[in-house]
Amino acid sequence: MPQLNPEFFISQLFWLAVFFSFLLIFLWRVSLPRIAKVLEKRQSKIDDDLSSAKELQEQAQQIERNINDQINKAKENASEELKKTISSLQDEVSSKLSILDKELEEKVSKSEKDILKNRDDQIKNIDEEIINITKLTVSKIINVDLSDSDIIKTIKSQKGTLN
Amino acid sequence: MAAKDSPLKQFEINPISNIELGGYNISFTNSSLAMLITVLVITLFLTLTVNTRSIIPSRMQLISELMYNFIAQLLSDTVGDNGKRYFPFVFSLFMFVLIGNMVGMIPYQFTFTSHIIVTFALAAVVFIGVTILGFINHGIKFFTFFYIPGVPFYMHPLLIPIEVISYLSRPISLSVRLFANMLAGHTLLKVFAGFVVSMPFFTGVFPLAFIVALTGLEILIAFLQAYVFAILTCLYINDAYHLH
Repeated sequence: MPQLNPEFFISQLFWLAVFFSFLLIFLWRVSLPRIAKVLEKRQSKIDDDLSSAKELQEQAQQIERNINDQINKAKENASEELKKTISSLQDEVSSKLSILDKELEEKVSKSEKDILKNRDDQIKNIDEEIINITKLTVSKIINVDLSDSDIIKTIKSQKGTLN
Repeated sequence: MAAKDSPLKQFEINPISNIELGGYNISFTNSSLAMLITVLVITLFLTLTVNTRSIIPSRMQLISELMYNFIAQLLSDTVGDNGKRYFPFVFSLFMFVLIGNMVGMIPYQFTFTSHIIVTFALAAVVFIGVTILGFINHGIKFFTFFYIPGVPFYMHPLLIPIEVISYLSRPISLSVRLFANMLAGHTLLKVFAGFVVSMPFFTGVFPLAFIVALTGLEILIAFLQAYVFAILTCLYINDAYHLH
């Protein structure tokens, strides 16, 4: 069995020591730090990306909240405006209605006055007409000319009984 | 069977250039060449694939990173935070054994891990290092490692020698495990390769098919033994930190 032949033991051990130490030192000083650096870089990149994503998400949420706030404010403003407009319109309408009422009342009262005046005038005229008709009737029937004062007297005396 | 065709012939060491230093024969051999190839493969692969240092890795860079993470995970699982200091050593050990085994799977290539002196040297480095580490961490108290608490007192005369023997046999079990696996696998491959040639007519196809399957198995074993070597090293390091 060649493995048990001590002829090359020293040689094997020597070269093993040389190559293994070289490998150990090279990996320790060169290769492994490089790989570690790459892995670290990737990890930090991932962490950075994650944190910036989180930040962006927070910003987006903030913006969303702002938008919602503004929408709510706008809604409130709109409803307030609406209420104000409605109440002012109501005020205007009621004031106009009251003016109209007054005008109507005035007109009504004026008309009433006119009517009363007209009636009085008519009544006065009726008296004259009555006098004239009476005069004419009496002169035609009995040929007597009555004076106005007589007729008025008679009518007044009659009116007393009628009223 | 003639010595020329022996399945163990593949393990023979042939010097490529004869070197002598202080009276010792330190010839550069086919074994040394295999080690050189292994070290070159590892260093070049780990250096070139990570050269771009891209955030999004290429496939080759991903392999390097996966190996890195594999051993880092292994160490942190078995040893914990203390293990980070030994990461370069465990990683080098794993890669050296793994690529050494894999280089050995190339036909006509020498497998230096099939030599007990090489595996024993690696195991001895682990054993001596872990023992020194244990004494640094615990001082003389490190000997309580052999004392198992919670056992009836009359059992100790029996258990302590067993513990000591089991501790001292660690480098042997660690090295023989790797050496025997490599030796057996390559010998088996060689034996069946001999069948392919010597069997009559086309019946040589059957051992050939067996060799194909066995090669797959050997590649698995090559990885597995490197993994076992690394994980046992991690466990021994852990023992140096945490006594029973």
